[in-house]
Amino acid sequence: MSEHLTQEDVRSIAEYTRIGMTDDEVAAMTVDLNNIIDSLAPITEYDLDGVEPTFHPIGGLVNVLSEDEERPSFPQKVALENAPKQQDGCFLIPSILGEGGDR
Amino acid sequence: MSLAFGEMGIRELHEGLTSKQFSAEEIAKATIDGVERNDRELHAFLEMTSDKALDAAKAVDAAIADGSFANMGPVAGIPIAYKDNMNLEGTHTTCASNMLESYISPYTATCVQKTIDASMLPIGKLNMDEFAFGSSTETSAFGPTRNPWDLERVPGGSSGGSAASVAAGLVPVSLGSDTGGSIRQPAAFCGVVGVKPTYGMVSRYGIVAFGSSLDQVGPFARSVEDAALVMNAISGHDPNDCTSQANNVDFTANLDDGVKGMKIGIVPAFMVAQGLQPEIKQRVEEAAKKLEAQGAELVEIDLSNAKAAMSAYYVLGPCEAFSNLARFDSVRYGYCDPGHSDLSDQYEQSRAKGFGDEARRRIMLGSYLLSAGVYDKYYYPAQQIRTLITQDYINAYEKVDCLLTPVTPRTSFKFGEVSDPTEMYLSDMFTISINICGNGGMSVPCGLGVDSNLPIGVQLISPAFRDENMFRVAAALEREYGKATIAPNFKK
Repeated sequence: MSEHLTQEDVRSIAEYTRIGMTDDEVAAMTVDLNNIIDSLAPITEYDLDGVEPTFHPIGGLVNVLSEDEERPSFPQKVALENAPKQQDGCFLIPSILGEGGDR
Repeated sequence: MSLAFGEMGIRELHEGLTSKQFSAEEIAKATIDGVERNDRELHAFLEMTSDKALDAAKAVDAAIADGSFANMGPVAGIPIAYKDNMNLEGTHTTCASNMLESYISPYTATCVQKTIDASMLPIGKLNMDEFAFGSSTETSAFGPTRNPWDLERVPGGSSGGSAASVAAGLVPVSLGSDTGGSIRQPAAFCGVVGVKPTYGMVSRYGIVAFGSSLDQVGPFARSVEDAALVMNAISGHDPNDCTSQANNVDFTANLDDGVKGMKIGIVPAFMVAQGLQPEIKQRVEEAAKKLEAQGAELVEIDLSNAKAAMSAYYVLGPCEAFSNLARFDSVRYGYCDPGHSDLSDQYEQSRAKGFGDEARRRIMLGSYLLSAGVYDKYYYPAQQIRTLITQDYINAYEKVDCLLTPVTPRTSFKFGEVSDPTEMYLSDMFTISINICGNGGMSVPCGLGVDSNLPIGVQLISPAFRDENMFRVAAALEREYGKATIAPNFKK
């Protein structure tokens, strides 16, 4: 197994992807990710000079704009129904600007 | 009177309703009762939608009474169940994840709505690998589904519940989704028909996204005709999914045409692939010979770039999953870990506890592969390789109408038997390249393994938007092997 990623790298990725991990979990994830990245080697062994990428299986798609007309959408109540916490018709999160907190 | 609805296909149920041998309500009640009696050991269902099924049945019975049933189409009154990544308003849509355990759909996915509009009976929501990451249904946060053919073995995945429910005769048809093999592999493991239509045949609106350029919805059934009838109901353009295409294909149109004069491609490199079990090779070769005996011409095809499909997929899939799963923020919906006064802590602990191991692996892998420097080493080349693989298939279809390959390298394995993630990924070695280029692919049963006595599937692959080709070949194979049977453990 090659070391594509160190435990420190994995810790940074965990932070970036907002997944809290214990030291043990970071160690195990480092092994798993390095193994998986090893298995991607065939990609690096291709001569791809001049080959265009295919980002999507359906080619020739063009952007279309919908008519500028009013259509029904979720009312506020429905949009909030799955919110873990809400207040005054808004999504509620912990304070992000210093002292504040819930009312 | 005890009616064996479980054994019946769409045509028999439809004829029984038309001739008033039984009512849609009787079908709904017997189906609900069958799930309640049999699913405790199988665990294919995560939620029942009995009230919706009974309401739909009443409407069908009213139409039978007033003579308008004939206008309802062939799938009216037919029970169906949905993989639990498909929104159905008012039901839980959990993706078999703690992250969405409490999530209630505020709207209905287009493919689900189309089955309801066709007056099908929605029986419930089906178990799966968490967020469709897996090939065994073992990563479900709510416990695995068992294979009806051997309860000690996995049903495959990620649409394991969809395959098992049909194989056990709990429902005649179900819907699943396929990003790298998630319909075809469990169909093969459970001995039923499973269809991954061409990308763009079926709307993805309302399906919880995994790999947006790879995901496609399709049916499971015990006959090719039943799968075709469900395809007729769910395919077509949807303004809510700009990749869905307007295609007026009747998937049943050429089922009786036979394969005489068709050219069917065989890929020699696949038949000597490392890890392919001899019993699978044997059954797939037999299937090809049967088609040849029916008048098809077998043509050897070189898909030399398909060998890079696995690695390309494990770049593209995780990158798209990383992007799609960023939406689970513990604020708008999904699991929120309680008691945090800091938003970052809330995010990190909610996502840590909400996502299982495989989901975390794919998110973190995708994040790494899209990072500066790494992008040019893996992601961009993977998209270039996608071009090469697609070109291989386009070249192949200049010579043949359809390809025939194995679905899986092996038959169903025991729970816990495959624990290494990279080994599990090999389950999809023959199915993945089809998602990468967007073609249609389906798994059709071709007998039991001589060593394992477990179901084996053969994969048929169509050019993009020519899915009727593979249905035609599938119907010809079905005439050799018979329709899929209910797993012996669940036969009445």
